[in-house]
Amino acid sequence: MTTTERKVNDLGGMPAGPVCLDEHPSTLHEKRVDALQKLLTGGKLQVFTSDAMRRAIESNTDEDYKNMLYYDKWIRAVRDLVIEQQLLTADEIDQRIEVLRQRHKETGSL
Amino acid sequence: MNAIEPRPGHALAAGTPVVILKKPPEAHCRTPFYLRGVKGEIAEVRGCFRDPSLLAFHKPGLPMRVLYRVRFKQKDVWPNYSGGPNDTVVADIFEHWIDPMPGAKT
Amino acid sequence: MSTSHGTHHHDHDHDHDHDHDHDHGDHGHPHAPPAPDDDDHYDRYEVLLQTAIRQLLDEKGIITADELHRQIDYQDSLTPAIGGKIVAKAWMDPEFKKKLIADPLKTINASFELDITTPLDLVVLENTPQVHNVVVCTLCSCYPRMLLGIPPAWYKSIDYRSRVVVEPRKVLAEFGTHLDDDVEVRVSDSTADLRFLVLPNRPAGTEKMSETELAELVTRDSMIGTALALNPKA
Repeated sequence: MTTTERKVNDLGGMPAGPVCLDEHPSTLHEKRVDALQKLLTGGKLQVFTSDAMRRAIESNTDEDYKNMLYYDKWIRAVRDLVIEQQLLTADEIDQRIEVLRQRHKETGSL
Repeated sequence: MNAIEPRPGHALAAGTPVVILKKPPEAHCRTPFYLRGVKGEIAEVRGCFRDPSLLAFHKPGLPMRVLYRVRFKQKDVWPNYSGGPNDTVVADIFEHWIDPMPGAKT
Repeated sequence: MSTSHGTHHHDHDHDHDHDHDHDHGDHGHPHAPPAPDDDDHYDRYEVLLQTAIRQLLDEKGIITADELHRQIDYQDSLTPAIGGKIVAKAWMDPEFKKKLIADPLKTINASFELDITTPLDLVVLENTPQVHNVVVCTLCSCYPRMLLGIPPAWYKSIDYRSRVVVEPRKVLAEFGTHLDDDVEVRVSDSTADLRFLVLPNRPAGTEKMSETELAELVTRDSMIGTALALNPKA
């Protein structure tokens, strides 16, 4: 479906299924992702623009774009962009994730 | 309103028949595929905005470009449109993706 | 790890509301995995990633835990209720409606003593007997968050974004919304920095209702355009 002419996110008119009307209240994780990207793109910090967020999300493969959860695409884009803008390094993020994983394994909590 | 007004005489008037260009999309593109090459008309001039295709790459997005609301008849967009005869779609398109139709007053 | 997010404890249940009929066996799309109220106990990669980034930014003083809490609280304060009040006032007060359509954010801030600031432009799309507006962002999920808060999952879905521009009436029918053939169904695709609030038609039989009562007829979906405002109870 992806062509150079039509990007992964350019969905208008593509065949699709019934609209699922299920809703769930935002989880704390989702609110945190939303708040992080709002503050990083906001007037005070301006680390990157909302346009950059969209561009980063559009760099997913067609399959990932369709199948990944909405806020998963967002937090991965935030990761790409804080690294691109040299606010954080990939290494320090990865190392912190390992620390959290270990802590969760040992204590059941992050 | 946050937008900046276009300089006098530098924007297409509401009602102008236009066609959306068919050209390779920018690396970050906000002109949907389904509207490229489609004829419509200027519904509204919404002022000048920075170019999102440049903002997406941390560039200032200058020069600002005129943003239009462009209205299309659904039967002009989709060959087999099966909704109502008066149905339309309106999208927000930048000047550099729009050409006035030949013979249109600019 | 601080537990000062205790004020954000949610006591919502995590069961999905399955009161519409389709077979969940062939959804073909993921639901969010059930998440506990407190995601500090949850080790999915993206939750770890969010936690790692959040902690690092706090430790470096770039975004403190306090700032994040305040942003979350602010986000939580944005709900369709304010949109409902705006629509009800527009129904009752023609002068307000005129100003609202001409300069939406300025009028809203002044009339409701709010201080919504945004680099984006809010546009009000008025439904009439001849024109029914419905809003989508086919390219991502642009939505008037500065007013209505977080959009519903369906608005952000591949299916809605793909189909509402090409078969709006079929999609609206899935919401239980049907319009006469001669009505112009006008789909607005939010492709730039404009954000759209639909001003639904005022339902019949509401002439004697107060502004507060009217606001209760205005659903979030009627301000997106997939539904009409509710009819008054008989």
